[in-house]
Amino acid sequence: MNNKWVKYSLIFILIVLIQGLVVNNIQINEYFNPMVYPIMIMMLPFELNAVITMGVALILGVSVDAFSNTFGLHASSALFIGYLRPTIMKYIRPKEGYDTSLLPSIQDMGTTWFLAYVSVIIFAHHLWFFSIEILRFDLFVLILAKTFMSFIFSIGLIILFQYIFYKPSKK
Amino acid sequence: MRRLLQFLKKFRDFIIFLLLQVFVLGLFFNSKNYHKATLMNTSSSVVGWFVEKKHNISKHFSLSEANDSLAKENAELRELLPESFYKLQDKVYYVNDTLYEQQYQYIPAAVINSSDNKRDNYFTINKGTKSGVGEGMGVISKDGIVGFIVDASSHYSIVKTLLSENINISVKLKKNNEHWLLKWSGEDNRIAQINGVTRDIDIQEGDEIVSRGNKGIFPEGQLVGTVKELISIDGKPTLNVNIDLAVNFNSAYHVYVVKNFLKDEQAELEGDLMDNE
Repeated sequence: MNNKWVKYSLIFILIVLIQGLVVNNIQINEYFNPMVYPIMIMMLPFELNAVITMGVALILGVSVDAFSNTFGLHASSALFIGYLRPTIMKYIRPKEGYDTSLLPSIQDMGTTWFLAYVSVIIFAHHLWFFSIEILRFDLFVLILAKTFMSFIFSIGLIILFQYIFYKPSKK
Repeated sequence: MRRLLQFLKKFRDFIIFLLLQVFVLGLFFNSKNYHKATLMNTSSSVVGWFVEKKHNISKHFSLSEANDSLAKENAELRELLPESFYKLQDKVYYVNDTLYEQQYQYIPAAVINSSDNKRDNYFTINKGTKSGVGEGMGVISKDGIVGFIVDASSHYSIVKTLLSENINISVKLKKNNEHWLLKWSGEDNRIAQINGVTRDIDIQEGDEIVSRGNKGIFPEGQLVGTVKELISIDGKPTLNVNIDLAVNFNSAYHVYVVKNFLKDEQAELEGDLMDNE
């Protein structure tokens, strides 16, 4: 148990640094704003309740905010998906339920399940993020364009990170 | 009472979510309206240390470009030195000149972290209060105005760039001194806007827009950009003007922090005026 949380803390620091120092610098044009840190919230254990998830999300968001000078924007979006995560998990639950010895990763849960999971979470996250950032109804098309472009990029990065940082759990 | 407890239990997650969200969004929207940073940012020591380490690696990729632009600027400045003028009359230049008192000092700094694709874009620079940088000082590059300092730690500072909502920097048309506030709509990071230009003003494409220097943040006449297009909106008596920004915020590297020795004097004088009204 203890060991598991040490591992989560290390991954947390690593993810914040990678987001802050590397991914934040991918600025191809104003539409691409890839974000990889939601993977931290996504990979928390299945049975974790919403309050703790939101706690982790808040700390994660504030740390990423500190690196990107966004003063709360990332924290707000991270909280949003932290709150939604248990609900989303309930809707895409496999027939036999979740095996709590596994992680919600692509290796453990299969490609189809993971793609559904990652798409809903990242779409919710990005839509919230860009809506709050721009906050104008007349620029709705811009919000959607930014959401979709960054969405594709972020999902690509997250799947890549999956293979780099998470090993399949032993059965 | 039991009903209330049941209700609270049922909506516990949502209530916690709502409270945290209000707190976080409060910080975020405050950061837009006040010229002061409210949350931890890249000027704090831990984050600043990491950002500087990253900068130490990545700066090598743009060194030759940065050198070229500095060499060019050096050449331009050298042209202004007393030695490069032919003396028509002896003793024109004095070291201790009583006619001119130094008003502005420039502190050179390097941009170590930046963004140009958000709604509010900030730079982190590698000079802080130990080098004399303070909140509210202007930041310019050799091309033109960049922004102003919103937070400074001992070694780093955060610059709010022109690419921000509510930037509201006072600018004027160089040829006839008509002045307005600069805005940024957030759509294109090379173009800023001026709204509400009346039609009687002689403004054309290609005209230079410069700083007005009324608040003492920037020296007067620093280039902001050139007029790109004039847009008339149906049913409105005024024009909106798109401005091609002079600074390329994507590649800004060497910048200068503007320290105004007379700013306090001006603020004090204008403050007195406000009080009397």
